[in-house]
Parts: sequence; structure tokens; C-alpha cells
Amino acid sequence: MPRLDTFQLVLQTGDSGPGAVPKYSINGFPLEFDDYEGGTGPGETLQAVAHPQSFPHTLILSGPEDGTWDIVGAEITYHCDGDEPYSLTLGEVMLGDHDDLNLWYAKPPKVFDV
Amino acid sequence: MPSWFSKVFKSEEDSPKSTAPEPIEDVVEEDDDEDEPLPKERRVVNAPIVVDESEASGYSDDIVIKAKMEPQANGCTFLVDRPLLDGLSFWAPDADTAYGSAPLAGAIFDLGGIATVLIHGMTVTVSRDGTEFSPWEEVAKRIGAQIRAHLKSGMPVLDPDYQARIADEATIAKELQKVIDEEINPGIASHSGVITLNRVVGNTAYITMGGGCHGCAASTITLRSGIEGAFRGAVPELGAVLDETDHTSGTNPFFKELPAGMGM
Repeated sequence: MPRLDTFQLVLQTGDSGPGAVPKYSINGFPLEFDDYEGGTGPGETLQAVAHPQSFPHTLILSGPEDGTWDIVGAEITYHCDGDEPYSLTLGEVMLGDHDDLNLWYAKPPKVFDV
Repeated sequence: MPSWFSKVFKSEEDSPKSTAPEPIEDVVEEDDDEDEPLPKERRVVNAPIVVDESEASGYSDDIVIKAKMEPQANGCTFLVDRPLLDGLSFWAPDADTAYGSAPLAGAIFDLGGIATVLIHGMTVTVSRDGTEFSPWEEVAKRIGAQIRAHLKSGMPVLDPDYQARIADEATIAKELQKVIDEEINPGIASHSGVITLNRVVGNTAYITMGGGCHGCAASTITLRSGIEGAFRGAVPELGAVLDETDHTSGTNPFFKELPAGMGM
């Protein structure tokens, strides 16, 4: 398991969203993003950066405590220790007031023609 | 004040008051702790991953084979652009099993240094035995060439006589359920785990790992070392055993924060 030094999140909210910048949790420990721009209100885009510098068993974006969060899409870029950064694009998902969003996807295995 | 705060922590003035006398049997001593609201149980949701279709290679008349490294299993999965077995799968834990049952698997064992071969759908998954140290990229090219040559030769993937010996789905399901009920679930009950056989298709078993197994980081070891071994002991012609559990979502994805005062 690689050490996740930094990850960047760009997230587009659709018709509904909590408005405030959410926390993320790594291995169950909630943390604030280190830096961010924008927000999670309807139609807003959030750009956030975090430097967990830890080995992620889980990496979760906290969902809404109230109402719903219509996430149109998100792009996550991971910077792991000793490896090239990699990015992942997530599609649309609706979070309810009991839902959090999984953000951790290990680097996809190398695929090549043989 | 956020709206959720006022909902969870209502002031006494906001609380509805009852004018009816309380029945005696309802009056119980309560700890102060019981006044605190319980936290919501939350679940983790996966969003769909968007794949860039422009990166996919086009169809070719030749047999296209892509190799995907499986570093955790010291293995490699080969995705072939056509089905290899019609509704069946094949598992070879050694060369002898392969030679007598599946010519394609035997051809792969001929390369040497191979530990196991699994053929399922359009894929061949190969692991190495550690006696040969060439980089996987080199070995994968040799295996890919062997698969391609075998398919072009017109030789069957599975020996017809072996195929005829494979029991029907109902018989396999009955045997596997017996193993689950009598061996596996009693064995993992101490970990609050439970295994469910979802279905058998051909000779492929689809299971779900629930309870303490759901989201457990050791679930793969339990599956490969424990469950598969017990299954194959009961049904030697069993092919792939596939875990349909989404271990990253739900209420217990791999790691759950312990209540205050527990753990480290």
C-alpha cells in the first residue's frame, strides 16, 4: 500500500448540495482540507487539496448531514510516495444524509498488449 | 446555527410538552448518557468511474490479448478479445491437472515456472511459482504468444471428456452449500463472518462475504486459502470462485472508527 502524500479533488455539485466545504476522513479520522476554493452549493465547483501523508485503508468524503448532495462528477488526482501521480474521474452520484463518498482508488494495474 | 444542529440539540422550550400523566410503568431511571442522541450510522457509496473510451483499442482481426498485472497475487490476467469457454471455467492448481483436462492450460504450464492457471470467460489468470525470475513483462509476452498460438491451432481449450464429467449446476450448488453450512460458516462464526452462495453458473460459484468478512482486509486470504480449498475438496471440477461483495462500500468498508475508549 503506497503512502498517499497529497490528493487534489475537483468536484461539481448539481441541483443540491450542502454548501459548506466537507471534511474528508482517512482511516476513519476526519480532517479538514488543507486548502480549497469554491464550495458545494447548487451549481458550485469545489477545488480542494489535502496532504494526509498516510497509508489509506479508507479515504472518504463526508456526505451531507441533512438533505441530499447531487454530485455531477469529480476528478481526483493522487500523489503517492515514490510514484507518478494518477487521476481518476468519477461520474454522477446522489448522496443522502446517511451517505459518504468513497475517494480511495489504488493506482490501476499496468495493462499492456502481449 | 446550522439546521442539523438545531434538529439534533433541541432546547427544552422547543420540545413538545405532554399534559397527560405518565404511567408509572413508564417511569424508569435513566443514565444521563441516554439523553445524548446516537450518531447516525453512515454508509460509504461508490460513484461510477468514468472510462475514457478513446483509450480503448479498436477491434482487430488478429487475436488481441491484453495483460494486466496482479501484483498482490504475483500474477497476471490476460484479457482475450473472444470467449474462451462456453459458460464454464477451469482451475488448474498444478501442471498435472492442466495436462489431463485443459490443453490451453497445459500449453501455459509448458513454459515453466507456472503455479496456477484460471480460465474464465474471456480471461486467463496465471500465477508464478517463484522458480523463474524474469520480469513479468517478458513472461507475459510468452504466455500471450502461447495463448494466441493455441487458439489459432483450433485445439480445444477444455478436453471434451473432462467437460463431460462436470456436474450440473444444481448438483454443484448443493455440494457447495453443504460445505458452507457444515465447514465454512461454523469456522468463521468466531469472526462474525458469514458466506452466502449466490448462485452457480456452469461450474463457476458466485459468493458474498458478509458480517465480519465484509470489508475485512483479510477477506481475500479467507477466500483464496480457506473457502476455495474447501469448495474444491468437495467439487474438484469447480472453476472460478468469484466474490461479489463490494468491500469498499456499505457500513463497514475495511476500516471503521472505534467508539471512544476502544482500541488505540
